[in-house]
Amino acid sequence: MRSLKHWSVVSFLVPTASYAWNMPVGVTDVSGDIYRLHMTIFWICVAIGLLVFGAMFYSLFRYRHAKGAKAAHFHENTLVEVLWTAIPVLILIAMAVPATATLKQMYNPSDADLDVMITGQQWRWRYEYMGENVAFISSLSTPQVQINGEEARGETYLLDVDNPLVLPVNRKVRFLMTSDDVIHSWWVPELAVKQDAVPGFINENWVRINEPGIYRGQCAELCGMDHGFMPVVVHAMEQEAFDKWFAERKAAAEKEISGIDRDWKLAELMERGQATYEAICASCHQPDGGGSPPAFPALAGNEQLIADQAWHLDRVLNGVSGAAMPAFRNTLNPVELAAVVTYTRNAWGNDAGDVVQPLTVQELIAQ
Amino acid sequence: MWRVIKSVLAALIGVQKNQQREEDFSSDKPLAFVIAAIFVALLFVLLLIGVALLAAKV
Repeated sequence: MRSLKHWSVVSFLVPTASYAWNMPVGVTDVSGDIYRLHMTIFWICVAIGLLVFGAMFYSLFRYRHAKGAKAAHFHENTLVEVLWTAIPVLILIAMAVPATATLKQMYNPSDADLDVMITGQQWRWRYEYMGENVAFISSLSTPQVQINGEEARGETYLLDVDNPLVLPVNRKVRFLMTSDDVIHSWWVPELAVKQDAVPGFINENWVRINEPGIYRGQCAELCGMDHGFMPVVVHAMEQEAFDKWFAERKAAAEKEISGIDRDWKLAELMERGQATYEAICASCHQPDGGGSPPAFPALAGNEQLIADQAWHLDRVLNGVSGAAMPAFRNTLNPVELAAVVTYTRNAWGNDAGDVVQPLTVQELIAQ
Repeated sequence: MWRVIKSVLAALIGVQKNQQREEDFSSDKPLAFVIAAIFVALLFVLLLIGVALLAAKV
């Protein structure tokens, strides 16, 4: 019933921050070029349409049957035929020249200042700043009560994430896009980037953002149940602010790594695990652990899970082949994995009472 | 010879006089048209490759 409700809301929803009739000019040079190209070709089409339909409607009216017009019966007119072949060819060539120039620019990711790996996952994005040891997962953060219709929708309904992708302005940023499961598409209209993320392939794209700001987009390739629940949010910052954010991220990543080999207390893991659970697991297994059987089994009161820690860890780390459960061994870090397993073993009345240490998980992953 | 090439070029853009077409179809050497057509098609492909290479370079 819960999932039914979930769906009926989805199918009729239009994001509150809806897109205008026309495509946006955007905030990169390329997006401006694309917009102008689009408008140029649009007006060419309008002119041709007016001319062709004008001539047609004029002829229909002027030479109508009621006025006694007689049809001319002739077989061919080579001159006219050559003209109506040659003129469209010339128009097409004239449009192809600027279009090709823009396309070449769009697909030239060379000389980038920063490389970001974007990985689509059901149903979230993962961002990795290549060679910088900074990587994180970006999940929907619109409150569940808004999705359930129990609270009014916010301004950025379904267009909010917990960890946005942060980029510096006036720097060329290259995107390397791939996917862990099915085909997704990373789309931000203001950046004029809409690129498929295909499992097993790496697609390239790039941006150089001119104005600081928050730019929002969505997954643009139907990818399963929560396709509409994996938005893209990009924060473009001035270089200084970006450097500061980046340093903080790096420090946090280092702290995270150093946290692996110490002994964690149950309360710490529970707190950490709840945050991870709500960001990653709750979309299928539900915030109360009730699941949506049969596809997504309940975790609350799951006897096998409570009784068998090794089995539980194996499911989370390696996934379940043939089922919707993905492997999280490379998606989450050992601390998050240990925390979320500990949390699910001890939340909602589950009474396993044991603690899974990050070090144990790291050893399991290394095997 | 020139007539064959002219007909092939006309076929390429899809415009031909009916009178010319009838003459072509009553010709007793269809092979000449086939060979000329393959040759012109090849030239067209090469032309496109050339344009694409030029566009990639500029």
